[in-house]
Amino acid sequence: MSVSVEKLTNGHHRTLSERMQFLSSGTKYDSCNQSAVCHAFGPDGRCIQLYKTLLTNYCAGECAYCPNRCERDVPRVSLTPEEITKITWSFYRKNAIEGLFLSSGIIGDAEITSQKQLEVVQLLRQQGFTGYIHVRMMPGTPKYILEQIADLANKFGVNAETTSSINYSEICPNFDYKNDVLQRLKWTRDLIREKRREYRGTGHIVGANDTQFVVGAVDEPDRDIIRTVNKFMDKYALRRPYFMSFDPIPDTPLENGSPSPKWREQRLYQASFLLKDYGLMHKDLEDVYNDSGNLMNTDPKLELANMHPERFPVDINSASMDELLLVPGIGPVSANRIIHSRPIGSEEELARMGAVVSRASPFIDLNGVRQTNLASFTGGYS
Amino acid sequence: MIIVFKPTVDGVLLACGSLADHPGSTLMVAKDGRQLKEKLRFSGIEDQIVRVGFDPSTNTSRLLKNVFTNTWTRISPLDPGPLKYIDLVLRHGDADPEDLVRLLWSCNGDVNAMYSKKTRISLRYYNYMREVTRSWQRLCMFSRPSFTNGLLFAEVDSPHEISDIFCRWLARKNPDVPVAVVTDGTAWIGNGEFVGLEHFTTISAAFVENLQGSADDEGIDELWDVYYDSQMIEKRRNRGLAKKMQPLGSSTLSKMARRDRYKVERGISSCTLDGFI
Repeated sequence: MSVSVEKLTNGHHRTLSERMQFLSSGTKYDSCNQSAVCHAFGPDGRCIQLYKTLLTNYCAGECAYCPNRCERDVPRVSLTPEEITKITWSFYRKNAIEGLFLSSGIIGDAEITSQKQLEVVQLLRQQGFTGYIHVRMMPGTPKYILEQIADLANKFGVNAETTSSINYSEICPNFDYKNDVLQRLKWTRDLIREKRREYRGTGHIVGANDTQFVVGAVDEPDRDIIRTVNKFMDKYALRRPYFMSFDPIPDTPLENGSPSPKWREQRLYQASFLLKDYGLMHKDLEDVYNDSGNLMNTDPKLELANMHPERFPVDINSASMDELLLVPGIGPVSANRIIHSRPIGSEEELARMGAVVSRASPFIDLNGVRQTNLASFTGGYS
Repeated sequence: MIIVFKPTVDGVLLACGSLADHPGSTLMVAKDGRQLKEKLRFSGIEDQIVRVGFDPSTNTSRLLKNVFTNTWTRISPLDPGPLKYIDLVLRHGDADPEDLVRLLWSCNGDVNAMYSKKTRISLRYYNYMREVTRSWQRLCMFSRPSFTNGLLFAEVDSPHEISDIFCRWLARKNPDVPVAVVTDGTAWIGNGEFVGLEHFTTISAAFVENLQGSADDEGIDELWDVYYDSQMIEKRRNRGLAKKMQPLGSSTLSKMARRDRYKVERGISSCTLDGFI
């Protein structure tokens, strides 16, 4: 591949691979999944399936947590639409990716930036690219551009970052939560519905609405985050939220903040799966938070089961789907398998069906037999 | 009575139907008429023989309905339909088609019993199905075809018969170029119309090798390394998870995958020669 260079205002030249490194590195905290084929896994275990890049890291925004905020002294670089399409094609032909994830710093305003993003997507599609394209839109993207993006990209959306206008104005002072984010989430929901109808039966992938939260940048408890996720699921047909742990960046207003512990992100994902896959509502999880409204470093489902001993033991051979789903160690697939394979005769059979018996056994009754625990031994509950 | 069947989806379903009619019968597999004759001559069996699955395909969905009386319910999102299940199992290097017929017969018309994993044999065959699926998926994930003279070329070395499904997948992903997947001297060709062949066909691997020239994708590996390294978050390194997600076996599928796996094992060095200069 030919090496192209970009002349910067300070006189330095940066090669394509240097610029690519800067801009891809700027997206490493962005989560995006096509949920089909992963082509590599980073040393942190995360799936790499898309070529993730920023169009540019020049940014007019002053987001308090962001390494690319305008006031920071960092090398500023860009890739042209032609360069991005060339790299995308090369990786795609090599079967190293499924497509492109395109985000950007704000060049001037949201409209100009989105227009530039649209140019990249248009160029790729004009060249016959049939792979997956996910565009992370800027807060405040005009509706007419969103509609054009919806015609070409498989997935598009805007990051909510936080749970309320007050918090948002604290970390992203240039944008308005209600207008620039929530309104765009609503438009995205409507466009996705329209595109799903349009592409039904054609095999064209139309991704669901998704958004990302920065966890720990402002002092908001997990209860608020989960409540917001639940609200977004109802209101904006949010399929799944992504969480990004806050990590203080030098030379930003939040440089003295504490990094969010890694486990917090994991517990938030577990709690969000309870909403997404287990049919629970945010109010069902009220008991699992500590006094400050945060999740503890334990599996929220196990915590929920321990807080409600009156719901157990569950009889494996007669329990409903909802009852089985409350048992730690039994997920939607194994619960389904149990229901279709009754009667279940032994723990061995249960294990073959995918249940984690060591976790489930204190909470189940199998053919009249249940594991004794300390509470039942002392007569705490029956 | 001996039921001789071809190891295809049709053959397995027809053999299962025959076994239901004649429960005490012996099962025998033959890939074609010649193999059937050889097997019979070798075994010296002179019982009554029922041959199934050797004639052109009948309505496979109807055959399935003859064997299973109830409708299939998807238990896991990873589960394929019953016909695909049988097809995948037959591709497994260790699968015994006779055992498979007995498994289907033992389900007593309940198609969901194939997926329940309740008995040892149903668990074994379910795992076979998953292993073939996994091998194919790993090829899709970690195989890195070369792009030469406008031809996308990949070599496959697998204990299971998955080259054709991988070729179809690659051709679907790249509908604008011809695709060749080579295994043991045979080349599966996808999007063959671009090189004057049928859309999907097989030819001799030697023919494909003639089409090859110098690779058009030089320099991509280095660029990929730059990209891969840029995605590393040092504080979140999780060797156990990364190793689980990219098992050692998959690193043999391509040089790129091998280098990625090396970085999973050893981490990405932040120390470069530039740092010393």
